[in-house]
Amino acid sequence: MGASKLSGMQKQVLSLYRGFLRAARSKPIEDRKRIEMIVSTEFRHNSKEVDRKNFQYIEYLLRLGTKQLDQLKSPDIVSLSSVKVVASKS
Amino acid sequence: MAFGLIGRVVGTKPSRLSTAARLIPARWTSTGSEAQSKASSGGGGENLKTFQIYRWNPDNPGKPELQDYKIDLKDCGPMVLDALIKIKNEMDPSLTFRRSCREGICGSCAMNIDGCNGLACLTKIECGSKETTITPLPHMFVIKDLVVDMTNFYNQYKSIEPWLKRKTPASVPGKEILQSKKDRAKLDGMYECILCACCSTSCPSYWWNPESYLGPAALLHANRWISDSRDEYTKERLEAIDDEFKLYRCHTILNCARACPKGLNPGKQITHIKQLQQSG
Repeated sequence: MGASKLSGMQKQVLSLYRGFLRAARSKPIEDRKRIEMIVSTEFRHNSKEVDRKNFQYIEYLLRLGTKQLDQLKSPDIVSLSSVKVVASKS
Repeated sequence: MAFGLIGRVVGTKPSRLSTAARLIPARWTSTGSEAQSKASSGGGGENLKTFQIYRWNPDNPGKPELQDYKIDLKDCGPMVLDALIKIKNEMDPSLTFRRSCREGICGSCAMNIDGCNGLACLTKIECGSKETTITPLPHMFVIKDLVVDMTNFYNQYKSIEPWLKRKTPASVPGKEILQSKKDRAKLDGMYECILCACCSTSCPSYWWNPESYLGPAALLHANRWISDSRDEYTKERLEAIDDEFKLYRCHTILNCARACPKGLNPGKQITHIKQLQQSG
């Protein structure tokens, strides 16, 4: 399943994903499902769209994700929500 | 109808005011006439300067690039920040940079201009036709264009506990803790720091160890609190930074003193801490 030897960056991405799922476990059930849905779609979308060699962008996304995870871990934060923005051609 | 009223007022007022009143409408139309004269002279005496600015957009991520912008220096203020604002207003609104006070006191517009760290609002545009290269602060993670991630820098500042700590309460409760003029003079050269990060990002030692070495700015502030006569936790502060990595990564390269836009000397303050560590 997956690559035999994961690179350091791949391990970081996976541990960030794990961190999000663990943080979701501490929230109420409805919000937990929403968080898991948002996080998994985001990660899957990026894994397809982002070039494996674009290290600068991947590191940028990792840093962004780590900051969001730190915010999510706080007990005051209840849930995540996301908005889909479609760029208009006009 | 308003013009009619003004005309009547101008006619009836004494000569002093009428000249002033005549000046006002002249000023209102002056921009129009000046613009016409500039256009008619065919842009004669135009002073173009090229700015090469680092661009990277996280929404369309690719490789970062240096993009060229030509600015007429006659229409622009003298500082690099004026040029950046002019580019953003007239040529490319997507150019992203931090700025606030435009007078060198907030420290938001710190960036690397022609290889040297400095504040964009205090750095004059160099005359001549040579290109000016503007890049973000070196060895910092870039969020977009010239905006960098300063969280590590701020966390290091927070870690030295930059507030007054006392064991004994003030001698007169509810009143200020007194300090002699000589003791206050010891803080000169340290309290003026605006945390712009120009010094820390110019230090090669900080480039190679950004997470473990505190950097000249944080150490300058550490010395500011160590030297404060009102603070009673001097020994604990010195012990907290008495570390192979936090303090002793400094090898007196002194790039920090060269880069500081406020003219401070962090290297000197770090030497002071090292001397205290040695003697205490």
